Amino acid sequence: MNNEIRTHHPDGQGELMAHAVDACVHCGFCLPACPTYALLGDEMDSPRGRIVLMKEVLEGALPLYDAAPHLDRCLGCQACVTACPSGVPYGELITSFRGWSEPQRERSPLDRAKRAAILKILPAPKVFSLAARVGQFAKPLAPLLPTALRSPLDLLPEHVPAMQPSAAFTPARGQRRGRVAFLVGCAQQALAPNFNAATLRVLARNGIEVVIPDGQGCCGAAALHTGARGEALKLVRANLAAFNPDDFDAILSNAAGCGAGLKEYPAILHGLPDEAQARAFATKVQDISEFLGALLDDGELEPPMPTSRPLTVAYHDACHLAHAQGVRSAPRALLRAIPGVTVLEVPEGDLCCGSAGTYNLEQPELATQLGVRKAKNILSTAPDLIASGNIGCHTQIQSHARRQGSPVPVMHTIEILDLAYRGEL
Amino acid sequence: MTIGKAVRTEKQALTPSLTTSLPKSKGGSLHPLAATLSRLLGPRKVLSSLSERLNYRYDAIAFGETPICVVLPESTADVVTAVKAARAAGVPIVGRGAASGLSGGAAPTQRGLVISFTRMTRLSIDPVRREAIAQAGVITLAVTEAAKPFGLIYPPDPASFRTSTIGGNLAENAGGPLCFKYGVTGDYVQGLEFVDAEGEVHHLTRDAYDLAGLLIGSEGTLGLITEATLRLTSPPKFTRTLMAHFAEVGQCAEAVSAAIAAGAVPSKLEFMDRACTNAIEDYLHLGLPRKAEAVLLVDTDGDDVETVEEERALVEAACRNAGGTVRRAETDAEAAQLWQARRSVSPALGRIRPQRMNEDIVVPRSVLPEVVREIRALGDASGLHLVQFGHIGDGNLHPNILFDPRTESLEAVHELAHEVARVAIRHGGVLSGEHGIGSMKLAFMREAVDAGTLAALWRVKHALDPHGALNPGKVLPTEVLPTELA
Repeated sequence: MNNEIRTHHPDGQGELMAHAVDACVHCGFCLPACPTYALLGDEMDSPRGRIVLMKEVLEGALPLYDAAPHLDRCLGCQACVTACPSGVPYGELITSFRGWSEPQRERSPLDRAKRAAILKILPAPKVFSLAARVGQFAKPLAPLLPTALRSPLDLLPEHVPAMQPSAAFTPARGQRRGRVAFLVGCAQQALAPNFNAATLRVLARNGIEVVIPDGQGCCGAAALHTGARGEALKLVRANLAAFNPDDFDAILSNAAGCGAGLKEYPAILHGLPDEAQARAFATKVQDISEFLGALLDDGELEPPMPTSRPLTVAYHDACHLAHAQGVRSAPRALLRAIPGVTVLEVPEGDLCCGSAGTYNLEQPELATQLGVRKAKNILSTAPDLIASGNIGCHTQIQSHARRQGSPVPVMHTIEILDLAYRGEL
Repeated sequence: MTIGKAVRTEKQALTPSLTTSLPKSKGGSLHPLAATLSRLLGPRKVLSSLSERLNYRYDAIAFGETPICVVLPESTADVVTAVKAARAAGVPIVGRGAASGLSGGAAPTQRGLVISFTRMTRLSIDPVRREAIAQAGVITLAVTEAAKPFGLIYPPDPASFRTSTIGGNLAENAGGPLCFKYGVTGDYVQGLEFVDAEGEVHHLTRDAYDLAGLLIGSEGTLGLITEATLRLTSPPKFTRTLMAHFAEVGQCAEAVSAAIAAGAVPSKLEFMDRACTNAIEDYLHLGLPRKAEAVLLVDTDGDDVETVEEERALVEAACRNAGGTVRRAETDAEAAQLWQARRSVSPALGRIRPQRMNEDIVVPRSVLPEVVREIRALGDASGLHLVQFGHIGDGNLHPNILFDPRTESLEAVHELAHEVARVAIRHGGVLSGEHGIGSMKLAFMREAVDAGTLAALWRVKHALDPHGALNPGKVLPTEVLPTELA
């Protein structure tokens, strides 16, 4: 699409946005892939429409406030990226755009306070855990509260587990075959500490020693995707200082959103002096399923033990794994590597569950519609277990499945693999 | 050359510089038509803010004028209300489906009312009559998906069928790979409901005067199609897919002519050249032959497996005789990937250059080898990026000129496009196989259609749309407007 964005924005982020708009041929192939287009059916709430709106705002032809409601409704799920034949890096575009536009937004004091609170609590696991435990007691009051306060409470599990800090170093079991660094994540330490415990056990079992570098923090994705670019840059640089890519075979994440965030570092720093460092870092980043999937492909994965009875597992593609990182086959292959497991495909599997980082806090109505639809689709396969590779999806799916009366356990792919290694599946 | 005069292929007028503080006012008062329509239809069905209107000014090839307002009707009655209000206000009307069209058909040439049919999605299947009754906004693929449980399909398969609407397909008489054997959209229409320029509703069948046939492919210039009764068919029991690749584009065309002359009737016969194959490969990473100058994708199908395989053998032999290398798709999944590749060609070309001029010529099959070679030679001589792909089985080719308006001359692009069109006309071909004329091919119409016929077409247009309110600036060039209508 012809545009003059570079003229108006001659910096690195402007170049990134102009490049994305250049690549769009407005064919409309993204429309059926977009969750908000599926729900709302109008062009402004489609990826093609949003690209035009961002272009117009960047060129000064459209006021930001006019475009903002439609741009805010974008989940950032990147299903459009998978559907796009001409290769528009839509994720980079919307992220850069939000970083550029947020400082100019007029927001109500309540809205500002809510956003600030989210960005303070989410990256601080101890505070998050405390807040979650307090919230747990407030949960019965949820129906009485305004939406802004109700939506986070609705997502809390009935029982918030105690934190389990991970050891700074986990040795390989048996012969050492590799050494990785691990990003422990934020929300999942508070909400699902077993994700990390299971990850460390499975890696050790496969002869991989795991280092959890000191000084690491939040990946910055939440800040970045809500337009808090300054905040995000601090977090990105802290992680670049904490992880030395030369020391490790890989830098692993077990949260799709965080892994995708880490892989975005070169785009965030595009045109800045530390871009090359970010690139060296990002080439080492892998999702846990990508890393173990490569071992499986090479015939080097320790064989898991068979299940005690045939088990069906509905695998949910997290958007930030399938669309943002292109990781689809590895998690399925890992589950299939467990004798006795059958992997079920979910109808409308490419459609976002509505969790999308902070989306279910910012756009609770659309998020709920998508959550209901996702849970229905998953439960229609009548699975014994539900697997996903992202804490956000996990919480959203669990919350909506329970509301639809289903007791089916929702687990991280790695937790299922861990149980299989322990002979407890 | 006047192409792109009526509808700019891209927005040209750009704000000179961005002011430091963005406008804060809600800007601009509501147009009286928007106010009237909001009152009559309710605000939910009317879009009037700038961000909303800006998004209803383009299709998949062209940007047009920003509409005054947009109506999203939910019933034929809503369409009637909107048309009558626009007529009373003297405002032109442009119908719009999913705006995945490639001729500028849905991009307005004048400020007016856009009626977007995406909320008119009622669809029912009558398995006994083997018919689907679809409102204009039904997604093309949804018809087949709804018909499948009854053992039926709806064959027309434009590349955008996951996005495009039945209304848009009817307006442009869309084709697709299956159309070589099974026919285009119009061949499946049993009946139509449409709203005329005065807001009256009519029901048309294919008997007596085939007025349904007149509406099909009329690009919203004669009336607005609101519902269609579509014929469904049984899917073939067996399908076989093969891919052949060639060291030269003419060889590919020779293979096609030879295969059909030998008696093969494949259901799909699709061609793409080297640049197309590479753009697709960059997107899907399927292992397509990047070095081949031409790739041919072929399906043979039918209910008798022996005949289907015989036909495939005929095509394979023709490909080998022409110098091609043949590979069979071994699984359904592999075949599905190849066809996804083919459907992605057009948008994937955006990877090469940000903008393009596309063509939709149809030439007799007997001259295909000369035509593809002549077009290839024109491209090579021009120094511009010219690529070719298309439904080669029925001689429908899509030469595309890919360019960057910042570094390449628009005049040179237009001149090359015109040269390509002349090749088609010289070989007894026509300009539009399936995309429609819209605004993109308007400039070629006077060369492709004789003056007497154009005058007759104008009189038909005038009879149905005397005020010229329906999608003005499309299909018929104003330069040849008969004097009595001027």
